[in-house]
Amino acid sequence: MSTPILEGRKLTKTYGGVLALYRVNLSLYAGEILGLIGPNGSGKTTLFNALSRVVPVDEGHIFFRGQDVTDMRPYQIARMGLARTFQVIRVYRKMTVLENMLISRPWRDVRPWDLLKPSRHDIHRRAWELLEFFQIAHLAHMPAGALSGGQRRLLELAMASMPDPDVFLLDEAMSGINPTLVEQIKERIMEMREQHGKTFLLVEHNIQFIADLCDRVVVLHQGQVLAEGTPAEIMDNDDVIEAYLGV
Amino acid sequence: MSRFTPPSASENPVRRYDIWLWVILVLLAALYPFTQPTTARLLIAIQMFMLITLASNWNLIGGMTGYVDFGHLTFFGIGAYTVGILMTRSGEVIFAPQLSFWQAWPFSGLTAMLFALTLGAATLRLKGPYFSIAMLATLLAMREIVRLFTPLTGGGGGLDLPPELNRIQEYYIALGLMALSVGLMWWIRNSEFGLSLLAIREDEIGAEMRGINTTLHKTTAFALSAFLTGLVGGFWAWQNTYIDPDVVFFEPRNLEMIMAAVLGGLGTVWGPPLGAAVLYWLREFFWNRFLFAHLLGLGLMLIFVVLFLPGGLVGLLQKGRVTSVLDLWRLQPAHEEET
Repeated sequence: MSTPILEGRKLTKTYGGVLALYRVNLSLYAGEILGLIGPNGSGKTTLFNALSRVVPVDEGHIFFRGQDVTDMRPYQIARMGLARTFQVIRVYRKMTVLENMLISRPWRDVRPWDLLKPSRHDIHRRAWELLEFFQIAHLAHMPAGALSGGQRRLLELAMASMPDPDVFLLDEAMSGINPTLVEQIKERIMEMREQHGKTFLLVEHNIQFIADLCDRVVVLHQGQVLAEGTPAEIMDNDDVIEAYLGV
Repeated sequence: MSRFTPPSASENPVRRYDIWLWVILVLLAALYPFTQPTTARLLIAIQMFMLITLASNWNLIGGMTGYVDFGHLTFFGIGAYTVGILMTRSGEVIFAPQLSFWQAWPFSGLTAMLFALTLGAATLRLKGPYFSIAMLATLLAMREIVRLFTPLTGGGGGLDLPPELNRIQEYYIALGLMALSVGLMWWIRNSEFGLSLLAIREDEIGAEMRGINTTLHKTTAFALSAFLTGLVGGFWAWQNTYIDPDVVFFEPRNLEMIMAAVLGGLGTVWGPPLGAAVLYWLREFFWNRFLFAHLLGLGLMLIFVVLFLPGGLVGLLQKGRVTSVLDLWRLQPAHEEET
């Protein structure tokens, strides 16, 4: 099997006395769509935060493109080609939608003095294209704080797409978005994977979304990996049904 | 087919009318000495220009970056004492030739900037009120250090600087500093660097995840702000011809630069200059009418602004519009797709 593009090895994280992750292993391969599911409090978001270095891990290592990034800062990993969305939407509420997009600019080939100039036209063009795809171009000059929850989700997805990353970590990115648009986003994710080889790690409570999109699914329970397999295997797994579906 | 026309290369993404208006105002102000004003009027203008400069510089770190610095006057003091020491103590205490103001002045900014880089490595790791209090503590500590370090600073007795008393020259220096500071803020606000500072202010973790090196950005903003504030301090020491810890690290001055930025509009380019001008006028008004309660009046006004005008005067003038924008071009939908 090829080397994973993103890998967590024996990741352990505690908050006070609470064990949020315990020796979790997770491998994400280039071009793969991997689903991460589990009951509330199972450690999904903590795992996302650990992989993107938003929180440091107590033990274990994180590898991105084969490089140990455990001690790197989030911006360094972001510049290496990893983008994420957050469970609690993080957009710049006092700034316009367009400004939110411009902030999420690609960082490849940026020289320090470029930062002393206004955003380049190609960055503006990419921002408009993505806003249009996510159907929020008409809101471009509105403050992001004035958008509805669903529109802010779309903005966050558009912002994550702005730097053209290779790996997307999407944390409940479909919640609050209308079903028609969810279908379109699903198609877009497939298109990005098929045509551009993009890789996705998705946390979702929408099981149908996971079943339709994912090649593999990892189930977390009480901070540990409970099961791993294809969506069909996971749906038939008795441990998962008991722990996650509560049946 | 696209519903929106993408920007063309010929279109300018930044509106420039406001900076041209600023240039015209500065040029008009440059003509003022030709009207042969009294020395008192020149002094009033110099003080107002300095307050505008201080408020704009504070706004870079406090307003744009969101690190509310309650001790920014530290850099003013370092600038003032750098000029004071280099102009009076050289050859006596430090082994360097005694310098003229023009030779010593650049060092006031550089010393303040170097101190900011050192201090910022520790304090910029703190967030919110912890940073504010750490900076306030730095200001108070610096005043006592200066008081105790008598051989170099003159202690409580202060330092007497050689007087030049050329108010017109001082007027042009203050005007130049103000023009430079405000112009620089405009430039930063319209740059990607400024956009990144605003992102840090809004959500630092989110900014990191967008690829922004937050440490580098906020340290640069802090150091630049300190540099310019140090220059103001150096200039003030020279034109005042006397410095001691109490007149240099004077808390009301610290408060006024913050108040001016809050009154005008935090994080905006034109808010701090506007706020500083209004605040200066109000201060004179309170001073003349209510000598013993003028600080109370200013304090009440600050409470009023924070409670009822969170966007400041600029926010009030731009009601209904976003005040925290970069004033990037407003591209309107060019045509709707026909269906």
